[in-house]
Amino acid sequence: MNLFDLFTPHKKTWLYKVNPAVKFVLFFALFMIVFFNQHYQFTMNIMIMSALLLFLFSGYRLKRLLLFSIPIVISIFSTAVTMILFGKGETIWWQWGIIKISEESFYKGLLLGFKSASFGFLGLVFLLTSRPVMLFYALMQQLKLPAKFAYSFMAALRLVPIIIDELQARSNAFKVRGVTFSKGIKGIFERLRLYMLPIFAQSIRRAQRLAIAMEAKRFQIGADRTYYYPTTYQPIDGVFALLLISLSLGAYFLS
Amino acid sequence: METVNDQQEQHSNTIGVTNLRLKFPGERSLLFKDLSFEAKDSEKVLFLGPSGCGKSTLLQVLSGLIPNSIEVPTRQDTIQLPKSYGFVFQDPDTQFCMPYVDEELAFVLENLQVPREQMDERMDDVLKRVGLDVPPHSRIDDLSQGMKQRLALASVLLLDPDVIFLDEPSALLDPEGTDQIWDSVKEVSEDKTVIIVEHKIDHIADWVDRVILFDDSGHIIADETPEVIFEQYQSEITEYGIWHPNVWEHYTASESFKAMMKNRQSSTVDLVKDTDRIVHLQQFKGFYGKKEKIHVEEASIYPNSWLTIIGDNGAGKSTLLLALMRLIQASGNYTIHGKAVSLDKKDKTPPKELSFVFQNPELQFIENTVKDEVAFSLQIQGLSTKKVEEEAEHLLNAFRLYVDHEHHPYQLSIGQKRRLSVATAFAHHSDILLLDEPTFGQDAKSTYEMLEQLEELRQQGTTIVMVTHDMNIVEHFATDVWTVQQGKLLNGKDTPDEKCETKVGTHHESI
Repeated sequence: MNLFDLFTPHKKTWLYKVNPAVKFVLFFALFMIVFFNQHYQFTMNIMIMSALLLFLFSGYRLKRLLLFSIPIVISIFSTAVTMILFGKGETIWWQWGIIKISEESFYKGLLLGFKSASFGFLGLVFLLTSRPVMLFYALMQQLKLPAKFAYSFMAALRLVPIIIDELQARSNAFKVRGVTFSKGIKGIFERLRLYMLPIFAQSIRRAQRLAIAMEAKRFQIGADRTYYYPTTYQPIDGVFALLLISLSLGAYFLS
Repeated sequence: METVNDQQEQHSNTIGVTNLRLKFPGERSLLFKDLSFEAKDSEKVLFLGPSGCGKSTLLQVLSGLIPNSIEVPTRQDTIQLPKSYGFVFQDPDTQFCMPYVDEELAFVLENLQVPREQMDERMDDVLKRVGLDVPPHSRIDDLSQGMKQRLALASVLLLDPDVIFLDEPSALLDPEGTDQIWDSVKEVSEDKTVIIVEHKIDHIADWVDRVILFDDSGHIIADETPEVIFEQYQSEITEYGIWHPNVWEHYTASESFKAMMKNRQSSTVDLVKDTDRIVHLQQFKGFYGKKEKIHVEEASIYPNSWLTIIGDNGAGKSTLLLALMRLIQASGNYTIHGKAVSLDKKDKTPPKELSFVFQNPELQFIENTVKDEVAFSLQIQGLSTKKVEEEAEHLLNAFRLYVDHEHHPYQLSIGQKRRLSVATAFAHHSDILLLDEPTFGQDAKSTYEMLEQLEELRQQGTTIVMVTHDMNIVEHFATDVWTVQQGKLLNGKDTPDEKCETKVGTHHESI
């Protein structure tokens, strides 16, 4: 299975119809609220809300979603457990060596875990239900993102699969030539050096050629342009905004 | 009054430059010194010359890309830029900034501020004109390289250009793709001026009106009709490595080729017996993930042979090489010198009897100097430092890498990079050298140099296995041919002799 298939949904739900710029702004606002909020129960409600959005409305099959959630679950546990076991606190529940669980560290750990879960789920909902091209079209039209940034991002995205192929070819070349790496940190640096150099060299050349090709197609910085995908505000954007705000308010009042 | 206007009209479609001087920053000498060139309305002009003589740079000057997009200091007495131009570049993979065909075409239309309502119609129109018969919302990555170049041409047509510049548009294409792009160019450009830089000129040699011949130092040495050029400047064209229509004819009539073939005949070995075979495959399959991508019922590779693997794009030729090198998952029976090769999932060490040359040499370089690159392959065989030193020196000379051996491999020319990559693979002293299209994208001169080099290795006892699209190589160099079609090897069971019977052409080597 290639990267493209992996990120193709089983069916396109209503979340796909929401203007990606609206989604971007609302999710970003929610991100900020979660980030600065210190109340673990509110954060937990937000986490549940984002998980529901992801698992019910992203349009991906459960198996795929569980696969995508693995890194999120790992990050929840690592952040929460570290804080619970080693965090500072007055009211000590249990202590053994350097491990010290206190009431404060416990709640702080939960808060951190819920926060990273909320970030993860919200981020996934956003990534999985917005095509990058549509996002940039919306950002250009609704949020006035300059076209030069939008198109350089989209052009860069096109180069990613080529880079992945090259990494694979490079790794094959190492096997064929009998390259062995040292163990530990030193090996990591050797790998970095040997993998990065040719990939960088090729990517820089490619980026230059692409930039010239774009200019040859009359792409001009700052010039007016029309849009192949005109994006506007639709009723569904309002519905989505209302839903997200009322869910967040619900999360707040239930805590 | 009217006549004056008419004249101006005519003149405005002429493009050209007089007394151009151009120097790349950091270079010691001028690339062009007082160069003048002019192309009339709807003229078709071909630039020929050795690599690095500045043909592509001149295209960029004539289009205005230099100095508007690429900052290079230039000076000229007069310059007449086209009112509207389109530019098709060499590499199909670095011309598009969007993932889908329609979105890429839309990018051009948006730049021109074409209203949304007119976009679909214009896209359909240009796709039809270049013969790109796919739904507009198709992924560009799913197109063949030839189709991608057609798309590049289509997006250029949206600009409604008076002049089309083509910078080696077929250099990185296989024969089928080359046909595709030139058919399309001829189809769409009747009323347009077309300026072409290209080394592969089979399709266009008698289509262009004028050929401009450059020398090494960027001077125009001839500006004539194709007939005159191909008649009077034969030796220059051969020297520059141009793939002209008679290039193989000339080459096979050359002394060096005849001597080589004579050598072949005298050193023929007796008919090979099955027991002599180096590699034997039975029900051999190669997989990408869980998908079977190549299936070989039965086939053998015999010592001292030159085996070419042919087949359409995506048929599975390169996959077969990867499976033989154990770089992808494989199953079945695979023996080398009668000993079974482990096809265990976990053990993916390449068999040491085989070495591999990748298509892109840069991806297989690992050291910082040319010499270390070769030395690395020798060191891992456990040779002493002194021996490594001697052997590396010897190999670099044998592969005619007469450059500063302390240079970084990336500083070499493309032909030299290829030779270095073959040298490093050869340094393993394996029985079989596998090569994935080693002459792809190279000019005629370096192609013949490479082929002669490989023949020399074969004479010394190395078996050559190479993937190629070039039927001339198959005809003139191969002793054995495998044809791969839709993931299956078709003729693995035939003996080499039988296959030579069915081979194109007349060149039958006895084996």
